[in-house]
Amino acid sequence: MNTPTEDHDLLRWLDGEMSAVEKTAFEARLETEPELKSEAELLQRLSLDLRTHLPAEMPVPYADFFNSQIQVRLAQEENRQSPTLGSRASVFQWLRLPWLLTSAAAMIALGLALWAPSTAPQAGQLVHSIYVPSSSIQARSYHSEEARATVLVLDGLEEMPADRKIVGFNLMHSEVDEALASTTLYDGEGKAVAVMSTHAKSQPVLLTAAPHTP
Amino acid sequence: MPAPAAPDPGEVPDIDLVKRCQAGDTRAFDVLVGRYRGRIYAMTYHMIQNETEAWDLAQEAFIKAWRALPSFKMDSAFYTWLYRITHNVVYDWLRKKKIQGEGEFDDSRTEHRVAAGAEAVPHGDLPPDTALKNAELGKRIQQAISKLSPEHRQVILLREVEGMAYEDIAATIPCTLGTVMSRLFYARKKLQELLKDCYEYAH
Repeated sequence: MNTPTEDHDLLRWLDGEMSAVEKTAFEARLETEPELKSEAELLQRLSLDLRTHLPAEMPVPYADFFNSQIQVRLAQEENRQSPTLGSRASVFQWLRLPWLLTSAAAMIALGLALWAPSTAPQAGQLVHSIYVPSSSIQARSYHSEEARATVLVLDGLEEMPADRKIVGFNLMHSEVDEALASTTLYDGEGKAVAVMSTHAKSQPVLLTAAPHTP
Repeated sequence: MPAPAAPDPGEVPDIDLVKRCQAGDTRAFDVLVGRYRGRIYAMTYHMIQNETEAWDLAQEAFIKAWRALPSFKMDSAFYTWLYRITHNVVYDWLRKKKIQGEGEFDDSRTEHRVAAGAEAVPHGDLPPDTALKNAELGKRIQQAISKLSPEHRQVILLREVEGMAYEDIAATIPCTLGTVMSRLFYARKKLQELLKDCYEYAH
């Protein structure tokens, strides 16, 4: 049986911590001690397998979201240091929540479902109610005759940085597919913009969305 | 010490990005995050063995690094410095959770292990049975690592995954060289025992 010192020699040899002289002497020992050599080979193999199966670098799930979340945290910390912005919720905090997009889309869908395209909509008719998940955000909606659209206004969000891409769609109507339990949203050209449904807990879920073309 | 990845030609050096970060440029920090997130995530993942927690801890490490950047003297490579911060974040988390290596193994923590093992298998021309054995060994290794105490897991990962020398491991933890060697010795013995059937034919 090896003494602790000998075990440490084996460890140091395995991990490349020996000087050239020590290494030569230890390897000479290995040739004369089959049991020690067998142990050394086993540890070498274990070491190789560990390095093979425990990669030093791994793909980060949702890598872009990982980065954006860090930027959100940095912005929040900066806001905390700024009393004028401290109580304002971050738009990114909202956007990080997968349900927000779908909830917002659901609200629009609800409004559209109530809208008869042949009838000129009146202010306040399109969105019957709005659920706002944060008390620091005030939401209201109105109909813009000029834009021929229902406008959803959220007060209390941070300013959107100028370099963020904002994608907008002018949704004109929606169709419900009872068989698939899905709702498809269409733009003014009749092009499908997004397909929505609900998941097992009856929360809205975005199934697919068309890429935005300016 | 963990070596930073070789920079691509034309890539902005870490030191320049660090200086911009110290001046408050969060975009420069975003570049650093993109550059090192894979290695930091791998470290937290191997230690925690839970994808969600590892993801959150890797984020926490970057946030702490941002906060500490004003005091970073650039007397070591950025990655080395970042790695030490990550190590502290993970180890604090483990201490709080009081995860003990002697505890019963929880399969739910490694539900994605097969995929992780498969990733390490070289793609291409391996016979299916060899690829399967590799994936299975990867899974077994992950399970065995999870059964080590945080202290032993940490040392074996610093040595085998990060390739740190004893002295650097001792500085990172921090502890004495003797402690590093004792923990490495015990960790390997424990892994040998846990993976005994995988290596039986080697005897």
